[in-house]
Amino acid sequence: MKLVDVMSASGLSMYAIVALLLFVGAFVTVVILILAPGSAERHRRASRLPLDDDSRPAPQAGSDNG
Amino acid sequence: MSTHVDTFSYDDAIVRKFLWATIIWGLVGFLAGLLIALQLANPIFNFDISWLSFGRLRPLHTNAVIFAFAGNAIFTGAYYSTQRLLKTRMFSDGLSNFHFWGWQAIIVAAAITLPLGFTQAKEYAELEWPIDIAIAVVWVAFAINFFGTIARRRERHIYVAIWFYIASIITVAILHIFNNLSVPAGLFKSYSLYAGVQDAFMQWWYGHNAVAFFLTTPFLGLMYYFMPKAAERPVFSYKLSILHFWTIVFLYIWAGPHHLHYTALPDWASTLGMLFSVMLWMPSWGGMVNGLLTLRGAWHKVTEEPVLKFFVVAITAYGMSTFEGPMLSVKSVNALAHYTDWIIAHVHTGALGWNGLLTFGMVYWLAPRLFQAPLHSKKLAEVHFWIASFGILLYVAAIYSAGITQGLMWRAFDETGRLAYPDFVETVMQLMPMYWVRVVGGTLYIVGACIFAYNIFRTWQARPKTYEVPMVSAPPLPAVYVDEHPAPVPAGAIARFTSAGWHRRWERLPTLFTVMVVVAVVVASLAEIIPTFLIKSNVPTIASVRPYTPLELVGRDLYIREGCFNCHSQMVRPLRHETERFGEYSKPGEFVYDHPFLWGSRRIGPDLARVGGKYPDLWHLRHFEEPTSLVQNSIMPGYRHLVERELDFDGIQARVDAMVMLGVPYGEAVRNAPELARAQANDVGARIVEGGGQAGMETREVVALIAYLQRLGKDIQQAGGVAAAPGATP
Ligand code: HEC
Repeated sequence: MKLVDVMSASGLSMYAIVALLLFVGAFVTVVILILAPGSAERHRRASRLPLDDDSRPAPQAGSDNG
Repeated sequence: MSTHVDTFSYDDAIVRKFLWATIIWGLVGFLAGLLIALQLANPIFNFDISWLSFGRLRPLHTNAVIFAFAGNAIFTGAYYSTQRLLKTRMFSDGLSNFHFWGWQAIIVAAAITLPLGFTQAKEYAELEWPIDIAIAVVWVAFAINFFGTIARRRERHIYVAIWFYIASIITVAILHIFNNLSVPAGLFKSYSLYAGVQDAFMQWWYGHNAVAFFLTTPFLGLMYYFMPKAAERPVFSYKLSILHFWTIVFLYIWAGPHHLHYTALPDWASTLGMLFSVMLWMPSWGGMVNGLLTLRGAWHKVTEEPVLKFFVVAITAYGMSTFEGPMLSVKSVNALAHYTDWIIAHVHTGALGWNGLLTFGMVYWLAPRLFQAPLHSKKLAEVHFWIASFGILLYVAAIYSAGITQGLMWRAFDETGRLAYPDFVETVMQLMPMYWVRVVGGTLYIVGACIFAYNIFRTWQARPKTYEVPMVSAPPLPAVYVDEHPAPVPAGAIARFTSAGWHRRWERLPTLFTVMVVVAVVVASLAEIIPTFLIKSNVPTIASVRPYTPLELVGRDLYIREGCFNCHSQMVRPLRHETERFGEYSKPGEFVYDHPFLWGSRRIGPDLARVGGKYPDLWHLRHFEEPTSLVQNSIMPGYRHLVERELDFDGIQARVDAMVMLGVPYGEAVRNAPELARAQANDVGARIVEGGGQAGMETREVVALIAYLQRLGKDIQQAGGVAAAPGATP
């Protein structure tokens, strides 16, 4: 008996639909949670992370001779 | 909390290495692109040299720009930003260097093997199995180095750019391994584990997600780091960036089947692919808006700062291609666009615009910092920007109209209800002016890239004798998490829950976060893949479909070696103009022995699924010797070397044996494949002589390819399923 036979007999055809529903559910939850109010301050701090790098290796970056 | 402070430095030497690799491979990849663009405008540029012909060089071009240029650009930006965002040096300098040299060695291996014709025939996964293994090893080294760095970080919160890197690293690993599963038949030859519909499904699950997780998510990570750096302000909305991340991870993985509309793929799968692709439009534009609005209040800087100009146009190109993509995945639009140059225009908006310009902007920003000298010339950077943008515009406008033109010509009927342009070559000739405009556009882009390389080279020349290595200090992370800036906890369970503190907790827990990404990717992939693979009713079998004979099998391998599938599809869609032009539409059951599938994605030449028996053997021989001798204006390269080279009959057995391992019922051919092949080759040789052709062809490679072409589409004509193929009756 080949793998295909085993799997076709095991009634997995519902798997796609179940997974899809789970997925849409999880997705909607994440979206709601992110959009919900109340996290502004934490996000503000997180968003500044790239800018707190205080190693400044660039001498006169931006100043130019061209 | 401890008051101890660590002092450390960042490894910028590795960033400099990746930066040079980006520039060098970029030039190589663009030049390869220019050569194949010339070949389509005039086949003379194939030079009648086997390893320079279009079918072999097209994969070289795509691999060079995706994995060599874009790949090294990702590593440049990721190594620079990861260390700084996590306030730590990379986990291991040894692994960093192993990653760098390993990746370059893989690229060199690709640059040698692809022109030689060693290919798995799967787009963007052409490299043969030994190189695939090397890729997996190098990728794992990169992953260990990356996750090790996260583990040693001195910043608790993981910034959104890093999430994009995490998702890319994990997903690329999964995609690469599953799509490349194959059975070797020699050191440089393997057969895909999957056949026909399944193989196509796997390939485009991979192919689309390679675009998503190699050309999109890592570059979004770069955007979320370098855009705020260059604009000197934080990203417009961090919330939106989280939303952008999760929607992309959730949705992208489902979108692959949109590459296979109207093919033999089951309908539900392609509808699913379409649905998710259309949904992707939303978060993509959210991301674009977020990137662009990071410049709020700083738009005046764009006029002065070439870096920002590159970023603005790159992000706009991202927006354009992510609008066009969902549109192209709508079945009715796809029916027109698929197999045409429209798709080529679409990917070049993405590649030249989004990936290319973002990379250039990033390198212009990095160079003065890495080489510790001011940028040689801002003016030249401006010139580069304008030339490149104009080049993109020419390229995309020309190829977009070429695509629409050809698509409309294919489907045009005259008043009598017959095809208006039954001669395929006529639809090709129509494109020639546009192909020359593409050559001009591409050349401009390359001129820009040369100016770029020169500018960076001169900046490097002005570097100090020894690089200063600035020391950074930061406190180590306490073992137990302490919130240094506790936000007021809102009252009420629901408010607490929705305040997204839970998400912050995940972000601090990279392992859990990574697991979530893996779950998202794997669940979606399995949901798509399992049904097509394992439910029999999805691929109805056809009794008359038989395995290829040993000779046809080598012929098929020659078709793969020469990259014919880069110009020819083997998939007639159930659309009236296609069945009128090519014949009966393709059925899933026809491909059950096709390891790998060869449906193709672009019709530069006509579909070949029904070409068997259309012409005599001698016609094919003459056509390979010199296509224009039979079809004036043909842009197909000549294949004289196939006529000259001796066929390796003794090597056939190994190929048949590998097929048998894959479950192809070869019956008596299992033991005497070479004899069966010789017998069939003699028949073909005799027919060529009978038709008035030269003698002695039966030992040449060309007979195998002719035998294969003559078989295409034949099985389905055998009513009642009477076996036909000699030697292959199970
Ligand atoms: C640069 C793209 C290109 C490549 C690569 C290419 N072809 Fe073609 N092919 C064409 C074009 C264009 C035509 C139509 C003009 C003609 O018949 O020459 C064509 C026509 C054909 C035809 C005739 C089809 C028909 O129905 O009339 C066959 C058969 C064919 N090609 C086989 C091959 C094989 C086998 C290879 C690989 C060894 C190959 N082609 C590689 C572009 C290409």
